[in-house]
Amino acid sequence: MDFAAPVDIGRATGLLADAVRAADADHVDATLLARAGEYTRFAGERVHQPQDITEQQVVVRAVVDGHAARVATSALDRVADAVRRATAIASGLARTASAPGSAWTPQHRDTDDHVLWHDDTAAFDAPARVAIAAEAMTRARRAGTTAAGMVGRAVTQLAVASSTGALRHVVATEATGSLTVGDRDGSAHWANLHRSRDALGLDAASVADTVARAVRTRGRQPLPDGSYTVVLGPEATCELLGFLGVLGFDGGPAQAGVGVTSRPGQRVASELVTVADDASHPFGLPIPFDVLGTTKAVVPLLTAGLVGGPVTDRTGHTHVAREAVPSPVAANVVMTPGAQGDLVAGVENGLYIERFWYTRLVDRQAGTITGVSRDACFRIVDGEPADPVRGARFTQSVFDLLATVDGVGDVLRAQPIMNVWNGSVTAPAIRAHGFRFGPR
Amino acid sequence: MNPHGWGAVADDATGRALVEVALDAVDGRAEYADVRLVEAEELRVYRQSGADVDERVEHTLGIGVRVLVDGVWGFAARPLAEGADAAEAAHRAHALAVAARGASEPVRLPDIDVHSGRYETEVEHDPFATTQDVRHALLTDALDAASAPRHVVSAQAGVNAKRQHRHFGNSVGSRQHQHFMESGVLVMVTAAGHGDVQRRSYPNSFHGDTGAAGWEFVVGRDLVANAARVGEEAVALLTAPVAPSGTADVVLGGQQMSLQIHESAGHALELDRMIGDEANFAGTSFIGVHDIGSLRYGSPAVTITSDPTLPGTRGSFAFDDEGTPARRRTLVDRGIVRDTLSTLDSSARTGAALTGAARSDGWAYTPVCFATHVYLEPGRVSLDELCDRLGEGIYAEDNRSWSIDEQRLNFQFGTEVAYEVRGGKRGRLLKNFSYGGITPQFWGSVEAVADDLRIFGYPCGKGEPKQWSFLSHGAPSTLVRGVRIGVA
Repeated sequence: MDFAAPVDIGRATGLLADAVRAADADHVDATLLARAGEYTRFAGERVHQPQDITEQQVVVRAVVDGHAARVATSALDRVADAVRRATAIASGLARTASAPGSAWTPQHRDTDDHVLWHDDTAAFDAPARVAIAAEAMTRARRAGTTAAGMVGRAVTQLAVASSTGALRHVVATEATGSLTVGDRDGSAHWANLHRSRDALGLDAASVADTVARAVRTRGRQPLPDGSYTVVLGPEATCELLGFLGVLGFDGGPAQAGVGVTSRPGQRVASELVTVADDASHPFGLPIPFDVLGTTKAVVPLLTAGLVGGPVTDRTGHTHVAREAVPSPVAANVVMTPGAQGDLVAGVENGLYIERFWYTRLVDRQAGTITGVSRDACFRIVDGEPADPVRGARFTQSVFDLLATVDGVGDVLRAQPIMNVWNGSVTAPAIRAHGFRFGPR
Repeated sequence: MNPHGWGAVADDATGRALVEVALDAVDGRAEYADVRLVEAEELRVYRQSGADVDERVEHTLGIGVRVLVDGVWGFAARPLAEGADAAEAAHRAHALAVAARGASEPVRLPDIDVHSGRYETEVEHDPFATTQDVRHALLTDALDAASAPRHVVSAQAGVNAKRQHRHFGNSVGSRQHQHFMESGVLVMVTAAGHGDVQRRSYPNSFHGDTGAAGWEFVVGRDLVANAARVGEEAVALLTAPVAPSGTADVVLGGQQMSLQIHESAGHALELDRMIGDEANFAGTSFIGVHDIGSLRYGSPAVTITSDPTLPGTRGSFAFDDEGTPARRRTLVDRGIVRDTLSTLDSSARTGAALTGAARSDGWAYTPVCFATHVYLEPGRVSLDELCDRLGEGIYAEDNRSWSIDEQRLNFQFGTEVAYEVRGGKRGRLLKNFSYGGITPQFWGSVEAVADDLRIFGYPCGKGEPKQWSFLSHGAPSTLVRGVRIGVA
């Protein structure tokens, strides 16, 4: 089976260029978002959901007198119609508005073609994916546990044409893997994503390690409420950093004056914490430009713990929200790794937390979130992992915790940002203090 | 004009012909196959105070094919331009199933009956036929009303509509044609001042509220008057006292209870979770297959029903997304778990009843267990009578934050508003109310349920890759004793 961009490159750029050329609006941009993904889901003793999904959508944005309207279609032969409809809607907006609109119309004229392609990802076909799934299920069974997970490969395609003359195209591979090994009431988890399957790190060793961690969760005990020194695994750190956007680094909250970016330069985290929105970083899902064709700038969010600035449409972070007013979002969040290979060794009495689950914002002002810990979590005693503990509910300020970070790991892992197209958070493990489990 | 007469596959014969192409492509090569051909168009119009209207239309047309080969599933989906796309999806689904055969325990489906038919959402006024002027005037008026009080710093209002043609066929001979329409509305207000920021929303804090209906659904929500109300309430919250912490008796309003049902009942009763299929991402359930028929989930006041045959909700349909006819099922009967939300696969593997809860997001995703229209059966007392029975405690409504663990046991919710209740009467407004608990303990503490059932449409995410489902929950105000409050 061919593993290729969903739409032929020449056809993609040609139809978008033709569409904007024919438009009768002040400004038009047309964007092709496409993905061909293959996913092998497994659980217990079965590959239960092998899936091959190709999705494509052309979004046309027409601007008339500063008023923008968008029409999208999955049918490539309807793009011209989408241009007409978007123009008609934008004209209607202009007609009924009391003043000109303020839609941003980037004036760039870049014409380029980017290829973020990895042959190792292309080779991650159905038999290869089934083989790693079978390896996980077999190893888990032999250890008296069960495995569930998903492995996949995808091609992401983004093309943008604008009436200013811009015509940009990128094709990028994507490898993804996640594994949960369950042991009666305990479990362990592993997940990563990368443009390269080889860099993903999903192999017999990582499977064996996940199974071993799950086995060590046997007999886990409830965690008493209290404040703990914690080592957060990379996935838990990713989850925490995923809140930076809504806490002020996304364009919407920043524009409303809500959140931490109203205080640039202020210290809100330890000097060990440096986080940027960096779509050029090799980890995660790098991509060179956004859905309007604007080159993605590196935006420092936290530099040695000091507040930077928000992402905006000007920095290449335009995002098409599904059920809200669209606003720019931080989509390629990367925390700079440290040099410490073992953060647990530095803890006399604390907890190792593998990942968080169902985290939600509680208080934007205080930066407080709630959620539960999940999978392989252990007490740390005298610098060593000790007894396993059950998942527990926490309510914790993100910045209060980041302010106490005194150790940063040297291994990066990436997670997707839910509901953000091509969004990812990449982070190492961190060590921090005063993490609150239980009610306030 | 017929509100369902739009698009490329409005005609059942056209849709059926494309479904047949896909089925023919795997005829004789699979013990079972089903095909979903979906065309959908969505209109979303949002406006933020001080900003331009954001108006968008999204059209999609594609086909998803699922096959069972030697007991192993395969699924493939493609956008549709011509018949060849349907055949390609079918061939690809078959190839994936073949590739997974050696690594999988086979599934044996029971005999499946043939179910064919047609279904249309009843629509009084086509929301796609409303003019831009009408839509924009409504949003402008709502924002003006919501923004009028001092200290309101931002407001957002929106209307949405979606129409769908869903054509289904399977290898046993079922042919189904469903034509859906839904409409929705939202307003959300943020107030800032006195060192605080507070939010209020209407009619549902969860992306607004959407139902299976036409523009009449929007008109019936009286958006402008309610926008004014929630604007004033958002400002009042800024200076309201913080809700207490400890243990209290509470009455939870219908909106908050609808989300409580979604998180702790709907998801917990999904059969694919119970058997571990979703363990890697969405999680499992504290309820096991062996618990069906015996587990005490709640008090005798708690009866929870799944009924997609009720019209007008976001979970209303005639057939689920693998062709099972919609049916009313009592999931929890006077506190005892009686049934689950199941699919062909999960039902066949467990022997549990097939309840017709296979749902999928359009054509591109494989059906999995999702809620339908799942609701808490109402009682016979009014809200006032329920508060009178409460005596001393808290009345809370409209979700502000939500979280629950992967087994659907340990939850924590916050609400936008709460009121002190003294002597059975609502008193002071309180802010930042939160409560937490353990699912069966919470439902076991339900003392009484009012008669004020309200229904809310929800989106819900599940599966890998993540897909959306659109469903609904109904709930009356509910009296719960001994709730842990002030937890966040």
